[in-house]
Amino acid sequence: MLRKLLFRNSTNLQFIFATGGALIGLTSLLLSFQLILDVRNFHSSEEELFGPNSVVIQKRVTKLTSVGMNNTEFTPEDIEALRSKEFITDIAPFQSADFKVGISEVPGDGLPHFYADMFFQAIPDRFMDIDVDWSWKDTSDYIPIVLPRDFIMLINYGFAQSQGMNQISEELLMAARLTIHINGNGKRVKMIGQVVGFSHKISSILVPESFLEYANGIYSNGNIINPTRIFITTKDDSYGELEELMDEMNLDISQGEIDIAKIKTIITVVIGIFGVAALLIMLLSLMAFVQYSQLMLNKVSYEIRTLLRIGYSVKSITRTFTTQMILVFGVITISSVIIMTLVNVFLVNRWLDENGIHLEKSGIMPSIILAVACFILFILSNFLNVRKSIFNLGKN
Amino acid sequence: MIIRFESVLPHPLKDYNHAAESVWKNSFALDFPSKVLVNAISGKGKSTFTNILYGVRHDYDGKVLIDQKDIRSFSLHTWIELRKTKLSVIFQDLQLFGDLTTWENLQLKNSLTNHRTDIEINEMLEILGIPDKKNQTAKTLSLGQQQRVAIIRALLQPFDLLLMDEPFSHLDESNSRIAFDLICKETDKNKGGFILTSLGGKHGFTFDKELKL
Repeated sequence: MLRKLLFRNSTNLQFIFATGGALIGLTSLLLSFQLILDVRNFHSSEEELFGPNSVVIQKRVTKLTSVGMNNTEFTPEDIEALRSKEFITDIAPFQSADFKVGISEVPGDGLPHFYADMFFQAIPDRFMDIDVDWSWKDTSDYIPIVLPRDFIMLINYGFAQSQGMNQISEELLMAARLTIHINGNGKRVKMIGQVVGFSHKISSILVPESFLEYANGIYSNGNIINPTRIFITTKDDSYGELEELMDEMNLDISQGEIDIAKIKTIITVVIGIFGVAALLIMLLSLMAFVQYSQLMLNKVSYEIRTLLRIGYSVKSITRTFTTQMILVFGVITISSVIIMTLVNVFLVNRWLDENGIHLEKSGIMPSIILAVACFILFILSNFLNVRKSIFNLGKN
Repeated sequence: MIIRFESVLPHPLKDYNHAAESVWKNSFALDFPSKVLVNAISGKGKSTFTNILYGVRHDYDGKVLIDQKDIRSFSLHTWIELRKTKLSVIFQDLQLFGDLTTWENLQLKNSLTNHRTDIEINEMLEILGIPDKKNQTAKTLSLGQQQRVAIIRALLQPFDLLLMDEPFSHLDESNSRIAFDLICKETDKNKGGFILTSLGGKHGFTFDKELKL
């Protein structure tokens, strides 16, 4: 009876506008939220190896460098300067081996006979987000190695052909063991190594830090080596700062990495703007809805006042209004989750797929939580407004 | 229930010269159950008197006490509790819900208090001569019929005091008599009392006490 009394004639143009506004607002908020989540999950396979937003920096080699007038080493002061940059969240110089390295095949493992001079470098384990066991102890069976992908390209499409060698697949190379020849500090030793991964990003031959420290301890020729390359991790949208740093320190960063940083920054900024716009729409629709409930209250102010005069409590009238709001906004919330999911599946994902962008979907649970949070915010603000208005009607 | 007035003067009546025996500016007490008539010509503040006692007007000087408590200190919640259990009212403008039927208007009240059964409510409609108006919306009823619906609604709750602001203004003498008898019967059943305001004249009814404005 209360509902009949209070909500007759409540479905009108204003109601449709308020409902439509809330629906559009909430849906765009959820859509941009979902998109932000999905893009945050976007990793290249390289990033799976080294974690997101990591970049290798080195100083540019110039004519002066070649004639020995300057060098590309990072001094301790340089490293301190990098450390103080706000957009750099992590920093690690490459360690180099201070001994000579050569590799050859292990007979019987399927590789053709070869021997090549090499070098080893290492970065801290925390940068190596790699599936296989990257730790090394002196009891380990082999030394895990990560090679640059360009290396195998050079061998297969250049070197092998000119030397009449068979080409080697990545799988074969990873399955085969390698003999590592170490020569330094007047000592020679042969060890077993195995390739466990390939990297686009780092054009260096990486071994575990623990191994390099161990080996440098025994075979080092006693030189003190300043690092020439540094691994840094940057914040998400720090392309601008990175570019500035390049100019300042005359750095050399691979164009590919720069492009990834640039694209990520652009996407983050654009989606951020979209998110802010959606948030504004959301607030606007919240206001429209509070306005709508205010209008509804005003329309039935006589009824509310009279109900209070014949003994109905503020609580029971507020409850009737709130139940109605929960019903209306419940439908809006559920609808916008459904619309968001449909738009995501049938428009956004299809569009991304057609353009060759494959995002790892993050699931809609966080969006549902956000929708529920918005629902609670709407209901709470309406509840407070309704209760206050009813109370004021009762006092007059 | 004891009601005490202490030099009460509504703001809109400040500039009038009130008679020495007037309710306004005087101090007195009313002890219920008893049947009280407030008799005055229009413009003397009959509705104001009712509305102050019912807690819907606060624009007055002086003090009104219900059971030794200043009614100015009552919260909305206290008023609503009082209106549900101790204080009933028939407003001069009736304040029915025009879009609801007679029956819905009555049920809206009775479902809150569970004071009377449907049979008893039907009986009251029967007594007041409007049983055929049960399913008609209130706004389509004549004023006299609306007045009788408002009277029944006021009786669908327990009360110590029933306030009635010119409850028979649209009823003829015989219907007024029937309504008055029903009100008296229900009042006695509730062991309560009432205050009835009238535009002069007692309609031939008897009262325990008469007040002048």
